[in-house]
Amino acid sequence: MRIVLTDLVLRRGSFQLAASGTFSEGVHLVTGPVGSGKSTLSLALAGELRPVSGRITEEEIGSRTLSLASPECHVTGDTLENEVVSWKLSPPPVLEAAGLTGRGSEDPLRCSQGELKRLVLSCILAREGDLLILDEPYSALDCAWKEEFSRRIGERRKGITLVFTHEDEVLPRVDEIWEIREGRLVSLGRVPGAITGWSRPPRYLRAALDKGIIPENITPGDARDALCRTRG
Amino acid sequence: MITIAGLPRGVLDIPELIIPAGRVAVIGPNGGGKTTLLRLLAGLDLPPGGEILVDGLPPRSREVGWVGESPAREMIFNRVSDEIASPLRFRHDPCPLVDERVKEIATELGIGGLLGRETGDLSAGERTMVALGAALASRPDILILDETDSNLDQESSGRVEGLLRRISCPHILFSTQRMELAGRSDHVLFMEKGRVLHSGSPGAVFPALAGTPFFPPSWRYL
Repeated sequence: MRIVLTDLVLRRGSFQLAASGTFSEGVHLVTGPVGSGKSTLSLALAGELRPVSGRITEEEIGSRTLSLASPECHVTGDTLENEVVSWKLSPPPVLEAAGLTGRGSEDPLRCSQGELKRLVLSCILAREGDLLILDEPYSALDCAWKEEFSRRIGERRKGITLVFTHEDEVLPRVDEIWEIREGRLVSLGRVPGAITGWSRPPRYLRAALDKGIIPENITPGDARDALCRTRG
Repeated sequence: MITIAGLPRGVLDIPELIIPAGRVAVIGPNGGGKTTLLRLLAGLDLPPGGEILVDGLPPRSREVGWVGESPAREMIFNRVSDEIASPLRFRHDPCPLVDERVKEIATELGIGGLLGRETGDLSAGERTMVALGAALASRPDILILDETDSNLDQESSGRVEGLLRRISCPHILFSTQRMELAGRSDHVLFMEKGRVLHSGSPGAVFPALAGTPFFPPSWRYL
């Protein structure tokens, strides 16, 4: 299972992004500053944006799901329960996973952005699709839920999971890191080697890197373990 | 100083609260009441009873700047420069002054290059900066940012933080899920289930949150 980008050029308005590379099975972090083209690339990979040139080749991918940054864009059901059903899932376990047990009859559009995000992410992760494209999965989540979804995303070992984010306080365990720099997708390679090539690592990772320590992965816990090992 | 007194129990359970001037971070879990409190402080909603005063006057008698979590939905004009100018034009400021202020605020925010662009073509983060420009244009007495930084990266968030330190607005309240940022504010309010459970300096509030996800990462590991 993989996705191959060959001399891909994407354009939205005056903005242009170039990308080549292969996303293999595993969890990939695609990072870059605001406006760098993360959403543009995620839309193209989901088949929602036609490339100007080049191509995207999918191999052995049966299903793909895009999670948009704004969760209300996903809503089709008139209640939280029906929203879960619209994903062809059983409501009770998904509502529980989203911390919304007992609220199945509520209108999704009357929920807070954070609550709706929890519901959409819980639905998407419960479907265990081949390709998950998560555009800013942490936006609107509080710190506790950011940690919880980081854990769930990092535990996904089957399929291809692409995490497009500029989050800098909570990140999942990943296999590969990609960075968008000046209109081009750059592969930094596999973790942990990729961490040293990261031009804008989160503050907690930079603290370890500044001491010459390379954490095993990119979660705050990895940075803590690396620093504790050195102190010990 | 902002004072809250006698709010009837309802969505919020805040019988009495004093918020000092400065940069105040409002933190806590989703659904804890942060947005409800900020909307009352901005005068967007009126309390069903009791009193909220910003330096002795109700919020609606003060100049208020507001930026929400989804600035795209709050924009009314297509062109960036028109959006930033809107609060000044609505109060009939003279055109030359409006133009000057728009350029000044855009330069301060580092978005001078966006002035001629269409708001619909901007990224989420760029829209946030434009909304912030519109909120600051009228030199508000109270500036409120409701999880505005959720669409900003580390660098843009740092730029906004630097700007908030420089401007002379006496009351800046921002809800955030970035605990590092909250840890550098002047005052922190931790809200849960409609109550303010902790209010004080970061050094006083965060030790009470040790062991929770609301404790700043760098305070945990470094």
